[in-house]
Amino acid sequence: MLIPHPLLGLRDAQEFTYLGDATLLNRPDPQSETADAAFHDYVYLRDNPAGVHRELWFHDAGDRSWLVVTRDTTTHEILGAELARDVKLGITA
Amino acid sequence: MTRLSNGLIDRSSPLTFRFNGTRYQGYAGDTLASALLANGVQLVGRSFKYHRPRGIFSAGSEEPNALVTVGRDAQTEPNTRATMVELYDGLEAYSQNHVGPLSHDIMAINDLAAPFLSAGFYYKTFMWPKTFWEKLYEPMIRRAAGLGALSGLPDPASYDRGFLHPDLLIIGAGAAGLISALTAGRAGAHVVLADEDSRMGGRLLAEDGIIDGIPAIDWVKTTLDELRSLPNVRLMTRTTVFGAYDHGVYGAVERVSDHLAATNGQVRQTFWRFTAKRTILATGATERHIPFANNDRPGIMLAGAIRAYANRWGVSAQRKAHDRIAIFTNNDDGHRTADALSKKGLPVLAVIDARPDAKSLGHYQTFAGSYVSDTRGRKGVNTIEVTRDGQSQWLECGVLGVSGGWNPNVHLASHHRARPIWDNEKLCFLPSGAPVGMSIAGAARGQGTTTQALADGQHAATNALYELGLPVQSHPAPVANDEPSNVAPIWHMPSRKRAWVDFQNDVTVKDIKLSHQENMRAVEHLKRWTTLGMATDQGKTSNVTALAVMAELTSQTIPETGTTIFRPPYTPVSMAVLGGGDTGANFRPSRLTPTHEWAKSLGATFVEAGQWMRAQWYPRAGETHWRQSVDREAQAVRANVGICDVSTLGKIDVQGADAALFLDRIYSNTISTLKVGKTRYGLMLREDGQLYDDGTCACMAEGHYIVTTTTANAGAVFQRMEFARQCLWPELDVTLISTTDAWAQIAVAGPKSRQLLSRVVDEFDLSNTAFPFMSCTELTICNGLRARLFRISFSGELAYELAVPARYGAALMEYLMGKGADLGVTPYGTEALGVLRIEKGHATGNEITGQTTAAMLGLEKMVSTKKDSIGAIMSRRQGLASETRRLVGLVPIDTNDPVVAGSHLFTTTADQNLKNDQGWITSACYSPHINSAIGLAYLENGTDRFGEEIIAANPLEGQSIRLRVTSAHFIDPKGDRLRD
Amino acid sequence: MTDLTPRTALGATAARNETIGAYLIEENTELGLASVAIPAETIPPVLFGLTLPKPGHLTLEIDGKFAIWTAPNQWLFATDGDAHQDCAALVKSKIAMAYITEQTDAWVAFKVSSQTSGQINTLLERLVNLPETATDTGKATRTNIHHMSVFVLRPTSTQVTFLGPRTQAGSLWHVLETTLRQQRANSGALS
Repeated sequence: MLIPHPLLGLRDAQEFTYLGDATLLNRPDPQSETADAAFHDYVYLRDNPAGVHRELWFHDAGDRSWLVVTRDTTTHEILGAELARDVKLGITA
Repeated sequence: MTRLSNGLIDRSSPLTFRFNGTRYQGYAGDTLASALLANGVQLVGRSFKYHRPRGIFSAGSEEPNALVTVGRDAQTEPNTRATMVELYDGLEAYSQNHVGPLSHDIMAINDLAAPFLSAGFYYKTFMWPKTFWEKLYEPMIRRAAGLGALSGLPDPASYDRGFLHPDLLIIGAGAAGLISALTAGRAGAHVVLADEDSRMGGRLLAEDGIIDGIPAIDWVKTTLDELRSLPNVRLMTRTTVFGAYDHGVYGAVERVSDHLAATNGQVRQTFWRFTAKRTILATGATERHIPFANNDRPGIMLAGAIRAYANRWGVSAQRKAHDRIAIFTNNDDGHRTADALSKKGLPVLAVIDARPDAKSLGHYQTFAGSYVSDTRGRKGVNTIEVTRDGQSQWLECGVLGVSGGWNPNVHLASHHRARPIWDNEKLCFLPSGAPVGMSIAGAARGQGTTTQALADGQHAATNALYELGLPVQSHPAPVANDEPSNVAPIWHMPSRKRAWVDFQNDVTVKDIKLSHQENMRAVEHLKRWTTLGMATDQGKTSNVTALAVMAELTSQTIPETGTTIFRPPYTPVSMAVLGGGDTGANFRPSRLTPTHEWAKSLGATFVEAGQWMRAQWYPRAGETHWRQSVDREAQAVRANVGICDVSTLGKIDVQGADAALFLDRIYSNTISTLKVGKTRYGLMLREDGQLYDDGTCACMAEGHYIVTTTTANAGAVFQRMEFARQCLWPELDVTLISTTDAWAQIAVAGPKSRQLLSRVVDEFDLSNTAFPFMSCTELTICNGLRARLFRISFSGELAYELAVPARYGAALMEYLMGKGADLGVTPYGTEALGVLRIEKGHATGNEITGQTTAAMLGLEKMVSTKKDSIGAIMSRRQGLASETRRLVGLVPIDTNDPVVAGSHLFTTTADQNLKNDQGWITSACYSPHINSAIGLAYLENGTDRFGEEIIAANPLEGQSIRLRVTSAHFIDPKGDRLRD
Repeated sequence: MTDLTPRTALGATAARNETIGAYLIEENTELGLASVAIPAETIPPVLFGLTLPKPGHLTLEIDGKFAIWTAPNQWLFATDGDAHQDCAALVKSKIAMAYITEQTDAWVAFKVSSQTSGQINTLLERLVNLPETATDTGKATRTNIHHMSVFVLRPTSTQVTFLGPRTQAGSLWHVLETTLRQQRANSGALS
C-alpha cells in the first residue's frame, strides 16, 4: 500500500505503523459530568465500517507525523491523508 | 538424437549435463526440458499419487509433470520445472517421487490401487479407526506425500532485494508487451519490462511468423535493440512478477544466477518490489488439453509446446527419428503445429480433429470428426487408438500433441478478486476487471493473433501515456501474418478408462464425476475434494478444463458452474528470496550499547533484550557457574560500588513553553512542580487506566525535561507521546526528540559510588547537601567532557547515573574501572541488575504487564486526582479501583526451596483451583543477601498478610512450595541508603 | 581536552573506510549534529547562512554546515568536522526562539561515493523503497533500510550519506557492505 503523505508524497505503507479509528482524536472532556461513560466509549467502542474509514497512521520510519488517512476498507482505495495535528486544530488544507 | 537444424540455441557452446547420473549434451539457450527431449529422453518423472510414468508436457512455466530436483547437497532445489531450468555446463538434475529407478518405480503399485485413491480419499480412507491416524496413516502419508525433498542443510546461496518505481510496468515481453514498451519508451516514460523467460519475445520465439514483412524473430531483435538504446527503459529477463498488491505495488523475483554454473559472488535471486504508476499485463495465454483415456503417458504433450521446441530450440519431441507425430485438436492452432512440423520434414501421422468439418492447412493427413480414444506404451506412448463414428483403429505413434484451445493468463488481473468472465465465442475466460492502474493487452485478454496483440499492446501503452500525462506519438501498429484460430467446445473424450485432467495431482475425469456424485460441485469444493489445481502449477493447464467437465456433468453452462480466481504467487517463490537475504545473526538488526566492545573484551556473556545485546554478567577466572558471577556482582554493589551500562533506557528530550503542562498530562503524577535540577519518578497509564510504563523525569532547565522510559517500551512511549502532542493537544508548545542513542549512561551504584564519582567529576560538589537524592545536573568530567549526572537508584543503594556522549562510553567505563580499583569497583550485568531490583522491590515489565494498576504496586498516590492525565479517569472505575492484589515479597520456608516466577499462590489449606487463586509470582531470583531464593508476587490483600505462610503451586512441574509473605522491600525498606 | 578517548560507533578507535568495486564507503565520525525545533506557526530562522529546508530536502553546504528537514517545524543541523564541539551549544548561541537538542552521538554517518550518479542510483534501488525523485541531489529523507530507520542524504549526484541510529551502526554497515559487494558481483557479471 502507498500512503499519500501530505508533505512527502506517496510513501510505502511499510514506513508507517497503524493505530486505528481516527475518533481517538476526540478525547472526551475529563471535567464533564458524564466523563466516565464518555471515556468508556472513547476507549472501547469503535466503528468497523466496510467502506470509508478515517484512521490514524504514524510515519514511524519517516517524519514522525501522525496522519488521518481516509481509506475504503473494502477496496483499500485511499481517498486522502491529512496531518492529524491539522485535523485536530481544524486547519483545512 | 532429434535435434533439428534451426533454433535460437548457440551450437558453438555445447554444454554437458547429467540427468539421473547419465551424461548428456545440450547447447547454450537450451532449457533442461529441450535438452532432454533433444537427447530422446521422454520419461522424466512419476506422478504424485499413482506414480505413473510422466514426461515433459509443456514448454513453459505452466509445466505440471516435469518436476525435477536440480543440484546436490546444500544446493538442492526440489520441484523445479525442467521447462524453466536453463541449461548450464555441469548441471545435475534428478527425477523425483519414485522408489528404485525411475523406469521401475516400486510405488507404481499405487496405480493398481487407484480405485481406493479416488477423489476425497484422504477424507474417506483415513477416518477409521481413529487410533490409526497418528501411528499409521500420518507417517504413511508423510512418506508418500510431496515430490522432491529438501536437503535439510542451510541454504548457502545469497539473496537480495530491490525497489523500482517506474511510470509503467509491463508484465510479459511477447508481441503485446514489446510494442507497449516501445510505444511508452519512445514517449519518454520510465518503463520496466519484465518477463519470466530468459529471453524476450514470448510466444514469438516459438513461432515462425512474419511481422511487417520480416521474420518475427528479427522484429523481436530489432525492437529489443531499440529498447536497449533507450535509457528510460529497463528490460528484466528471468523476472517473474508473481503478485499484484495495492496501489500499483507488484512483487517479482529475478533469477539472477540460477542459470549460471558458477555465481561469482552474485546473488541467486532478487526480490523486487515494483511501485508502478501504470501497469500493462501482457502475459499471453496458455494452451489447454483435452482429456481422453490414458492421456498422461510420456510423449503426449501440448501441441503448441511441440511447435515451440521445434521452432525455438530446434528439437523434435520424438525419441527416435522415425517416430510418428500425431496431433489431436479441436481448433485450428493444432493444425499449425502439424504444418510447422511437416515443413521441417518431420513424420506427421495425422491431425485428429474432433470437428467434423476440419480441413488440413498443409501437407499432412487430417482425420476430421475423430478423436483419440486410448493410448498404449508403458514408459512413453507408442500406439494410439483413433475413433470415428464408433469405429476404432490402433496406429503407431511416438509423439502425440494435444490442443484444446488457449486460456488467457488472467492471473494477476484477478489478484484483487476481479472474477474472469466466460466468453462464449472465444471459449475462454477473459478478465472482467483488474487492479487499479492495470490494463490488459494481447492474448491475456483474448486478443490472441499477433496482429491483434500488437495493436492491442500499442493501444494499451497509448492509453497509459495519456493517463501519465506524457506525449503520445501515433505510429501504425505492425501487422503480422497469422489468422485467428477457430475452436470448438469439445472438452473431454468420454471413456470408462481414466482420463487425466490435472496431471500434477492425478485428478481424472472420473474423480470430477465422483466429486459431482458426492455433491462437491462448487468450484471451491471440487478443488479441495479432488486436489485439482493445487501444488506448483496451480492448475494452469487443468482448471478451465475441469470446470467445463463439471459444467457438462451438471448440465449447466460454464459461467453457471463457476469461475476460477487466482491468488499470488503466479508461480512458486522460494521463502529464502522473500526473506531478502540476511540470515542468522543478521536476520534482523541488532543494537549495541556504547560499551559493547569493552564488555566483550572482559568476556561478558550477552543476552538479547529486544533488539539490544546486553552484558548479562562478567565471569571471572575460577567462576564455573553463572550464579557465582551474578552473586559476586550483586554483592559488590551492596558492599562497595558497581558500574553498569544502562544506555538502553529510552531517553526523550522534551522542550517547549508548555513542556511541564504536557508532561502533567502524560504522567499520572504531577511534573509541573518539579524544580530545575530535580528528578522525579513517574508513572504513565494507558487511557484505560492500567499501568503502562515507569521511569524518571529530570528537569534540566526551565521548559526542558529528559524523560526516561523502560528499555522495552522506548519506541512505543515515544510514539505515544507524539500521539498526545499531535493528536490530543496540538495547541501546546512542546517538542520531542528521542536521544536514546546519543548518550552512554552508566549506573554507578553502591555505598562507595560517591567516592568513585568524586574522582571523575571536574570540581563538582557531590555531597549529600549539595547534590541530594533525586538531583540532576549538567557538569563536566574527566577534564572537560560534558556530561549529565542523575542521583537516582534502581538497586536501592546510594547510586548515580552518569551520561556522556556515546562515543566516550567505553572510555568512561575503563576510567571508572581504573579510578575505582582500590574501592572494589565491579562491572555488573543485567542479571545482577535484576537481583538488585527484586531485592529492593522495584517493578519492571514482569510487574507492569498491562493488567496492573498503580495501587497493586502500592503507588495509588501517584495517580493525581487534581489534574487530568492519560488514563486518570478510567483508573478510577470500579473494576480497577476494587483491585485488591498487592505487591509483596516471598521467601521459601525451607531456604533450599526454589521460588518460581509464574507460580500461582494458594492458602495452605485450599484446593489448588482457579476459584481459590490468590495471585501469582511475577519475578524471582536467588538473593545473595537473604541467602535464599526470593520472589515478588501480587497477592490478594498482600500488604496485610506479612508473615503468613502460603503455597506456590507450579502444576507444570508438580511443585507446591511453602513460602512466607514479606514486604517487597527485602533491602533497606525505609530507603535510608539511597538518601545517604 | 578530556582525558577520555572516543570510540567510533563501530567500536573502533578510527573511522572505517573501504573501497568496494566502484564505491567508496566512509564512516564520518566528525559530524556534529543538533536538532532544531521551532514552535508551530513561527518563522524558521536562518542559521549560519542556511535557510532551513522544506520537507524532503537538505541545504547546500556552507563552511561545512548544512541542515536537513526532519519533521514539521523540525530540522537536523550538521557541522562537519566538529563532532567534539557541543553542537547544541553552538546552535543555541545563534538563535533564541528554538528548541535545540544535542544529536551528535545519536547517529552514525556512512558516506558512499562513486564516479557516476547512475552507480549511486543503482545502489539506492537495492536499499530504499523510494522513487528516484525522493533521493535526487538536494534531497534528504528518512526511510526504512532493512528494518532500520535511516536518513538518506543526497548532497551531490555521486554521493549519498546514510545517517542511521548509532546503536545499529554494525547492522547498518553490514547491510551497506553486503549490498556493495553484491553490486560489485553484478557489475563484474555484466562487463
